[in-house]
Amino acid sequence: MTTAPDNRGGMRPTAPQNNPANVSATGGAGQSGEYSGFAYGQNSQLNNSRVEGNAAVASVSAARPETPSLPPMQTLTDNIGGKYSNITDGGDFGSPVGSAAMPKNISANTRPDENAAIIARYLPDLVHAASFADAPDSYKRFVNYLASK
Amino acid sequence: MSAEAWLPGSLFDNIDKFANSLGYQNAAIALELSMIPWKSPEERDSFIMSITGDDVKGGAEKKYIKNFGG
Repeated sequence: MTTAPDNRGGMRPTAPQNNPANVSATGGAGQSGEYSGFAYGQNSQLNNSRVEGNAAVASVSAARPETPSLPPMQTLTDNIGGKYSNITDGGDFGSPVGSAAMPKNISANTRPDENAAIIARYLPDLVHAASFADAPDSYKRFVNYLASK
Repeated sequence: MSAEAWLPGSLFDNIDKFANSLGYQNAAIALELSMIPWKSPEERDSFIMSITGDDVKGGAEKKYIKNFGG
C-alpha cells in the first residue's frame, strides 16, 4: 500500500491563486497568472505590464520612509535652556537659583500689612471687651500688645 | 463698673484663647479663627490642641480647669 505524501492537496497559502499579485483579467481561466487568449503578441505585453506593475508596487513599499523618531518629551523640571535656564529658578527647591534672586517687590510678604489692617479694624471693640467683668488678664495683656503696635 | 460679663465661648473668649495659644505674632490669624462659629468651647479647644499640640492657653486659668477624668 502506498502512503500519500505529506502536504498533499488542500488549501496551500503559497498557491498561485492565493497570491494577490496574480490578478488575471480572464478570471479562473488564467490560474497561472499569465494572460492568455488575447491577440498574438498582446499576451506577453500584458504579462510584462503586470510584472512591471507588481515590481513598481514592491519598490514603492520598500521606499516608504520610516516614521520619524521624535525627541523625548520634556518634563516640567527639565532644563529648557535660554534665558530661563531652569524652570525651578526663583523657587526654593530644585534649582540652586532660589527666591533670593527674585526682585524684592515679588518676594515681599504682604501678610504684615493685612494683619495690621485686621487688627486696626477690630481694636476698638477689643479694647472695650477688656473692660468686661471677669475679663481674664491674658486677654487684657493681648489687647495691650495690640494697642502698642 | 461694666454690666457686660465675660462669657465662655464668646467672640472675645475665642480671641483670648487663640491669641494666647497661637502667639501674639499670629494675632490676625487668631482673630479670623475666633470668628468661626464654634459649636462649643470644647470643640474650639480641641481644634487649638490639634494644631498646636499643646494645651489651650489664656483665660482665667482658675476658671478654666479641665476635668480630665481625675
